[in-house]
This record gives sequence, structure tokens and C-alpha cells, in this order.
Amino acid sequence: MNALDHDAGLMLRYRDGDTAAFSVLYAQYKGPLYRYLLRHVRNAAAAADLFQEVWSHLIATRARYEPRAKFATFLFHIAHNCAIDFFRRDLKLRRALPLEPDPAQFEPEVPEHQRPDRVAEYAQQQSALLAAVAALPQEQREAFLLREESGLSVEEIARITDVPVETAKSRLRYAVHKLQHSLRPMLEPEGLALRNYA
Amino acid sequence: MPDERARRKLDDYLRGDSALSRQYRRENAPMPPHALDRIVLDSARQARTGSADPQRLAPLAFAASVLLSVAMIAAMLFVPQAKRPDDRAHIVRVRMFKSEAPRAALASPRERDPTLWLADINALRRAGRGAEAELQMRRFRSAYPDYIVPSNE
Repeated sequence: MNALDHDAGLMLRYRDGDTAAFSVLYAQYKGPLYRYLLRHVRNAAAAADLFQEVWSHLIATRARYEPRAKFATFLFHIAHNCAIDFFRRDLKLRRALPLEPDPAQFEPEVPEHQRPDRVAEYAQQQSALLAAVAALPQEQREAFLLREESGLSVEEIARITDVPVETAKSRLRYAVHKLQHSLRPMLEPEGLALRNYA
Repeated sequence: MPDERARRKLDDYLRGDSALSRQYRRENAPMPPHALDRIVLDSARQARTGSADPQRLAPLAFAASVLLSVAMIAAMLFVPQAKRPDDRAHIVRVRMFKSEAPRAALASPRERDPTLWLADINALRRAGRGAEAELQMRRFRSAYPDYIVPSNE
């Protein structure tokens, strides 16, 4: 089993009764999965529910697990389906979300100690990026978050989201273009610094 | 060309370590609340110790179904056939239907038996006494309204 399949191997061990293997998997994926859900559904309570739902599904169906893809693809495919169900179930919530996202509303349940102790300007930049991600259309936002949080390829993102590779690539291209465009001043600190010196 | 530029941007981004990715990674990285950790890890442990694994139960289920089949076949082959009172009851019910008690009081013992009465009616017809036969037939139908009279009578 190669390095790419290491996590699938852990899942196989859990399937066969090794709960310690599950703990390793959980520790490795809980952060990326939680952030993907949190920033995708943009609601901390819903993200917590979905997070639990994803793991519950994985635990309940472990007996049928066969490593046909990378474990991350398997896990985020479950997460994608749960998120889709959430969006379908709760259209009212989607409509209630503000068109112009308010940075103060993001991640309201993030403990204060997890926020980096940095200068005020930098904190403002962080909020701007999260706001720009949150303002992306749902499919583009998901493609970007899957890439950033799971590190999966475009082909794997296409597989997770059940769309052709070209569609996934197009979504990601639009997302990257919009984010780079809206955050240009923030993403070019060196240029900004040089201009300040001039 | 804007399309070509967008494609190049995407390729740069996908190569990793783009300014955008670096900026994203600099963001705070919220983690699930500890309560969620506990719930998930407890569920994973309980799933192992709690309900039985369906895959492991499969051979047991197969053995149980084989045993049940063998027992059913043995019962069919070796246990003597029991009487079936229901069949008898069914026949009785049919007979009762065909020879329901006549509604009107009947004059002769032959009229109390519908088959004998019909035979007499036929005999009257054969003797050319049609009017009498018809009269008797009307009486017969009145006495045995549910009796199915054969078409040749």
C-alpha cells in the first residue's frame, strides 16, 4: 500500500475493529473537514451538525468500506452530499443569508484563543479573504474550499462533486480569478511595500 | 487573451504555494468544539462494541436459513398428513347452498327433494302436460329460489 493509500489503510483497520486507527484518521481530518463545512455552509451550528453527520455516516457504513479512491475523496464526498442535503433542506436559511456578508458573522463559535494574535491590519485582511470566499457562488466556493482544505486534485474535486472535470476546473478558475481580483492589494504585499518606499 | 490568462492563473494556483493559498493558510484555522470530538470518538468506539457487525453475522444467518429449510423439508416428508377439516366444511357449505330448506311448505315427500321434484317436472313435460309442468316449475322456483336448475330441465 503506497503513501497515498495510508489513510485508506487506516480506514480498513477501523473497519476491521481497530478504533485506534479511527482516532488517527479523525485527528488528521477533523480540522479540514470542519473548516470546509463551516466556510461552505457559513453557519457554525449547521456546520457542527453536518460534521457529526458525516462522521456518523462513515462509522455506520464502515463495514461496506472498500478503498476505491483516496480516503480524503471518500470522506469529502460524504461531506459534499451532506452539505447538498443541508442546502436542499434549509432553503430558508440560504435566503436569509445576507447578500453582502458581514465579517462579524463569520465563525461566531471560533474560540478567541484560536484567533491569531496579530496586528489589526492583518486581522482585517483575514476577514476580507473569508468574506470574499463566502461571497463566491456555492459551487465555486466549494471547489475552492475542497482544494484548500483537502488538497485534492481537480479530477478528485470533480469526482466528489459529481461533475465533469472541465466543470470542476471552470468553477475553480472562476473562484481563483474572483478571489485574486478582489484581494489584489492584500495578495501583493511586496509590491505594496515597494510603493510605500518609493 | 483573457481566457488564456485565467487558465494560466489556474495552472499557477494548482501548482501550489500561490499567493492566494498562502493567504488562505494564514487565516485562523478553527477546529471543531471538543464536545463534538467526544461525540464522534465515542460513537466510533460504541459502534465497535455495540451492535454486531452485519458482515460477521452473514455466515450465521446463512446457516440458520439452511437449518430452517432442512427442517421444513423433513416435516413435509416424514410427518403424517393431518386431516383437513376445512375441506369437509367447505363441501357441507356447498351442499347446504344447493339444498336450502324450501321456503314454502311442500305437499309431498318428493317435493322435499329438489332433484326428485325436477325429475317429476321433466316427466310432466315429456308427457305433453306443459301447463302443469310450468306450474310445478314456478312452485319449484318459489320453494328453492337458490337452486341452480340444469339447463336441460
